[in-house]
Amino acid sequence: MSAADEVSQFERNARLVLEESVRRIDARTRSRLNQARHAALEAAGTRRRAWWSGLTLMPAAGAVTAALLVAFVLWQRAPQLAPPATLEAQHAAIEDVDLLTDNDAIDLMEGWDGSFYEWAAAQSDGNGESNG
Amino acid sequence: MPAALHGDVDLSDPEAKTQTRALNQFLAGVELKAFKIAQAALRHEDDALDAVQDAMLQLARAYAGRPAQEWKPLFYRILENRIRDMQRRRTVRGRIMAWLPARADDEDDDYDPIAQAASGEPQPVRRLELDEAVGALDAALRKLPPRQQQAFLLRALEGLDVAETALAMGCSEGSVKTHYFRAVQALRAQLGELL
Repeated sequence: MSAADEVSQFERNARLVLEESVRRIDARTRSRLNQARHAALEAAGTRRRAWWSGLTLMPAAGAVTAALLVAFVLWQRAPQLAPPATLEAQHAAIEDVDLLTDNDAIDLMEGWDGSFYEWAAAQSDGNGESNG
Repeated sequence: MPAALHGDVDLSDPEAKTQTRALNQFLAGVELKAFKIAQAALRHEDDALDAVQDAMLQLARAYAGRPAQEWKPLFYRILENRIRDMQRRRTVRGRIMAWLPARADDEDDDYDPIAQAASGEPQPVRRLELDEAVGALDAALRKLPPRQQQAFLLRALEGLDVAETALAMGCSEGSVKTHYFRAVQALRAQLGELL
C-alpha cells in the first residue's frame, strides 16, 4: 500500500470517526441548535417582511411622484398657451401710440408726398458726394 | 389581521416560502457539524452553541437572498470569525479573571445525565472501539494549531472542497492545502495505530 493510499485510508477512517462523534451529540444540544435555527429563520422572515413592507409603500410614493410630475409639466406648458408679446411687437405698438398722439406726425402721414422726399434725399446724397 | 404579523414567515409569498424551506434545510444539514467544529475550536459547549447560533442568525439576516450554493462557505466564514472573536474575548477575560479568586466551573451546575445521553445506539464492542477512537481524535484535534484544525474539519467533516475551504477560512487555496496536509500528518502521527 502506497503512502498516498495510507493517507486516504486514514482520512476515510478519520471522517467516519468524526461523523460518529457528530451522531453522539446529545439531545439537549440538538434541541438548542434546533431552537437557534428557528430563531434564525424567523429573523430572515422578519427582514424579508421589512423589505416587503417598504415595497408596499411604493404605490403611494409613486402616485405622489406622478402627481408632482404632472403638476410640473402643466406649469411648464402653461406660458406656452399664451405666448408673451415679442420685443418688436412691443416696439411697434409704442410707435403706433406715438403716431396717434402726435398731431404733426398725423399731418405728415396724411400729406405724404413720396416723390418729393425721394428727390430731396437724392439731392442730399449728391451734395454729400460733391462736398466729399 | 395579516397572517404574518408576529414574526412568522409570510406564507402568502411562494418565493419566500421556498427560500425559507431551503434555508431551513441548509441550516439543519450543517448545524451539528458546525457545532462540532466550534466545540473543537472553543472547547466549551455553551460558547460553541452561541457561535453557531450567531452564525445562523447572521447568515439568515444578511445572506439569505444569496444563491444557496454560496451559503455553506459563507456560513463557515461567519462561524470562523465568530470563533476568533470569542477566543480573543476569552483571552482578555482570562487575563482579568486571573486576578480574581478561583471559583467552581459553571459547566457542572446544570449537568443532566439524561440529556447528555448519546443519541445513537451502536453495538457494545463497536461502541467501545468508537468511544476510544472518538476520544483520541478529539484529543488529537485539540492539539492541532487552529488553522490546521479548521482546515481538517472543514474538509474531512463538512466535506468542503479546497476552494470552498479557502473562502471559509479567508486564505488562499495553497494555504488550505498546506494546513490540511500538515493536519493529516500530525493526526496520523498520533492516531495511526488507532485509525
